[in-house]
Amino acid sequence: MKYKIREKEGVVLIDLSGKLMGGSDAELFKDCIYDLLEKGRKKIIVNLGKVTWINSAGVGILITGYTTMRKKEGDLKLLNVSEKIKSILYVTKLNLIFDCYEDEEDAIESYS
Amino acid sequence: MTGKISLEFPSEYKYLNLVDALCNGIIRDIELDPKTATEIAVSVIEACTNALEHGNKSNPAVNVRVLFMWDKNRFAVEVYDCGEGFDYREYMKNIPDPSDIDHIRGRGIFIMKEMMDSLSFEFSDNEGMKVTLEKVISG
Repeated sequence: MKYKIREKEGVVLIDLSGKLMGGSDAELFKDCIYDLLEKGRKKIIVNLGKVTWINSAGVGILITGYTTMRKKEGDLKLLNVSEKIKSILYVTKLNLIFDCYEDEEDAIESYS
Repeated sequence: MTGKISLEFPSEYKYLNLVDALCNGIIRDIELDPKTATEIAVSVIEACTNALEHGNKSNPAVNVRVLFMWDKNRFAVEVYDCGEGFDYREYMKNIPDPSDIDHIRGRGIFIMKEMMDSLSFEFSDNEGMKVTLEKVISG
């Protein structure tokens, strides 16, 4: 997994790419989230458009980010969720937890 | 339409993309519908993740073996690891709610059970732990 950070209108976009799974990815993403919180950034959008595949451990990584943000009165929303990722979210009913968006502007607008 | 392909790989996450590529290649070749294809591909990765993590304790010196088998009615995948196995039936009695965000992990078996038509676990001294995933298909 790799990531790049962008900021638009006070919202942080994390562009993830590659494979999102267990192991070192979990620590990498957690560090990223804590770093953003230290900088006072609490409006987060995770762009999954370039994630080539994911497993349930990868979904767990997103849950960690979500719960960490929510505990600090922030939020974490998902953008460009592929059919494969949607299938995992639906079967586990996590689609009821995560706000998912197809369009970047809509995702940013949701924070205003 | 029948076939059988096997793959063996060291217990490292990086090799899961080989499994995914092979699985998707087979699925494309036998022209499964997109929903069935996604459910099989997701479940195979879950089974292999469990095998390398929980079965083989991510020890790269120990391999995970995957066997894909299909005919016009059925797509089956067997995943073998060298672990000590676990009590699947007992686990399923207390399976964590997958929508509970207090649990970071522990959704893999639930996902496989929901996405496949059959999921079974078998342990033997000779072969170690074997997980069998089956899906009814229309060829």
